[in-house]
Amino acid sequence: MRSGPALALLAAAVTAALLAHHTASVAAIALVLGVVCLRAPRARRWPYLVGTAVSAVTLFVVTPFVETLGSHPLWSGPIIPVIGPLDVTREELASAALNASRLAAVGLAFAAYALLVDHDRVLAAAAFARRSVLAVALATRIVPTLERDAAGLVESLRGRGVEVEGIRRRAALVSPLLAGSLERGLNLAEAMEARGYGRPGRTRTRRPGWSLADECALVAAALLVAVGAIWL
Amino acid sequence: MAVAEVDGLTFTYPGADEPAVRDVSLSIETGEVILLLGASGSGKSTLLRALAGLVPHFHGGRFSGRVRVSGRDTRTCRPADLVGTVASVFQDPEDQVVLTRVLAEVSFGLENLGVAPPWIVPRAVRALGRVGIAQLSERPVAELSGGELQRVCLASALALEPELLLLDEPTSQLDPDGAEGFLEQAVELGTTVVLSEQRPERALRLASRVVFLENGRVLLDAPADEACAWLARRRPAWIVRAEPPHEVRGAEVVCSLREVSFSYERARPVLEHFNFDLRRGEVVALRGPNGSGKTTAAKLVAGLMTPDSGVVERSGRAALLLQDPGRYVTRDRAEAEVAVGIGGDRVRARDALAAIGLAHKAASHPRDLSSGERERLALAAVLATQPDVVVLDEPTRGVDPERKRALAAQLRMEAPSRGTLVITHDVSFARAVADRIVTFQKGSDPVKGLTLVREEAVA
Repeated sequence: MRSGPALALLAAAVTAALLAHHTASVAAIALVLGVVCLRAPRARRWPYLVGTAVSAVTLFVVTPFVETLGSHPLWSGPIIPVIGPLDVTREELASAALNASRLAAVGLAFAAYALLVDHDRVLAAAAFARRSVLAVALATRIVPTLERDAAGLVESLRGRGVEVEGIRRRAALVSPLLAGSLERGLNLAEAMEARGYGRPGRTRTRRPGWSLADECALVAAALLVAVGAIWL
Repeated sequence: MAVAEVDGLTFTYPGADEPAVRDVSLSIETGEVILLLGASGSGKSTLLRALAGLVPHFHGGRFSGRVRVSGRDTRTCRPADLVGTVASVFQDPEDQVVLTRVLAEVSFGLENLGVAPPWIVPRAVRALGRVGIAQLSERPVAELSGGELQRVCLASALALEPELLLLDEPTSQLDPDGAEGFLEQAVELGTTVVLSEQRPERALRLASRVVFLENGRVLLDAPADEACAWLARRRPAWIVRAEPPHEVRGAEVVCSLREVSFSYERARPVLEHFNFDLRRGEVVALRGPNGSGKTTAAKLVAGLMTPDSGVVERSGRAALLLQDPGRYVTRDRAEAEVAVGIGGDRVRARDALAAIGLAHKAASHPRDLSSGERERLALAAVLATQPDVVVLDEPTRGVDPERKRALAAQLRMEAPSRGTLVITHDVSFARAVADRIVTFQKGSDPVKGLTLVREEAVA
């Protein structure tokens, strides 16, 4: 399948997850996206899957304490200034589960885009907003790049007999990692300028025609959005 | 006819006190192959960037004089507008790659140039063929070796069919055979080439003219033959091989690998039944083509990796210098970076920096150093730990020949206190520093990709 229809399917899955009202439906969409992500190599997929899981679980845990919803308390806690009563109701848990499932679906759709979609072909297929598409494609690389840079920094410290253990020592690497990614970004911008990026009159490589599978995928994407809005 | 003319160029980077290039004047004629030589920070990269229009447009700073490329003044012409006339290949290929597949990457510049769509892919494929990697066109760039990636960058530049090709240390990550082939390909194309190199032996054979820069000024601008004579007389480190001062060999084995095997992927061993001894007092050079397993062996010796089978024994402390100096920027001052591995001892850190010629940079941010200076900072950070076993993976990348000679002398002087393993593509450095050279070769079995080992003593 071409990258454009694949991207449309992922976008439709995200839209359906955001429109759907039933937690089970959203969880099912997230599950399907999770299975799709498992097609990516293990070494590349874990940061995305772990990041998504941690974010979704955090949202599930935090939501009942910051939301005030429902009249079936399961646990009552003290009243905290600004936040309000620190209680947990059945409705809040249901809301937390729905929001966590939605976040998981969005995270997994992004993971599938980052891991499995050919970004070059998405860029080639973009008939408009090509600069934005390129910016997104370059930004998508930041996860594997940071992961590789972090491993490099840790290795350089181990090579000097310094073990990087504990949250504090790992946190100390965040600043050099970010500085490194800024420097890399500058170098890339210079290379792009040297290769004519931003020059008027840009053309693009000829694209092959649409296959039946591509057309079916686009129809399926539209249907998925409609189903998400009406029935799920 | 002059492709480019530089007239009284002086340029100072934003925030810098001193100009990076001073009063440089050059005329670059069609078909010339000009080799830029000079120590780290002498202004080679700045001159190349000025010819590409990136100085001053991309970097800002104070610019005086004039640079004209194909009759166009770079002060009024943006770098993007010079594409098609000028093409650049920078030092680090990883920082130049925009897209994820080889063919798309090579096509990127052609699309920017506005080449008619039916001609984009044929021109990209032809450029890939010219650098001998047409078979890689559908491969993801993330799966390529450093050498292959550098060729993709050259193909991306050649696809633009430029009048002037600018190459900034393009072979720094290549093994000698790869570097030789790369430079020959670049020169055989008949394009005007301006090339900066820190391993000048090969480039001197191919260049028609040599420009030597020192502190931003042109010290020499002469045909290659005259330049070789001048270098031999005035800057011998650039052209004359240093003789190794063979010292005593210690008897104590500080690191021993016995029947060691290692693989990253099952059924594709990188090393198998590898035996190696490193003695205190000796310097061993490890050579071999890209991807032959040298860095794997280095990490096993230094204890950063554990073998799948076999035994690695070390006595005392081991330290490893990694290839990428960008990994030695975890602190905001050079002396603090060096002090990381020695419990924050700033005095020892400053001594280590002084030993490597960077005492004046102790308070600088590591990211403000040139690539050669960063390489030396990384080296100081490793040597400061005073290890019993030290493994240096490509310590001379981006380092000029005079610094290389000083480094070889330092390693020889400190050799008695430890066992030293140096991985290097630099043949003359290996011969200058090592007691023996172990050469890795890729095995003939493409599935197993096993490493073969050959050993020679330095005569």
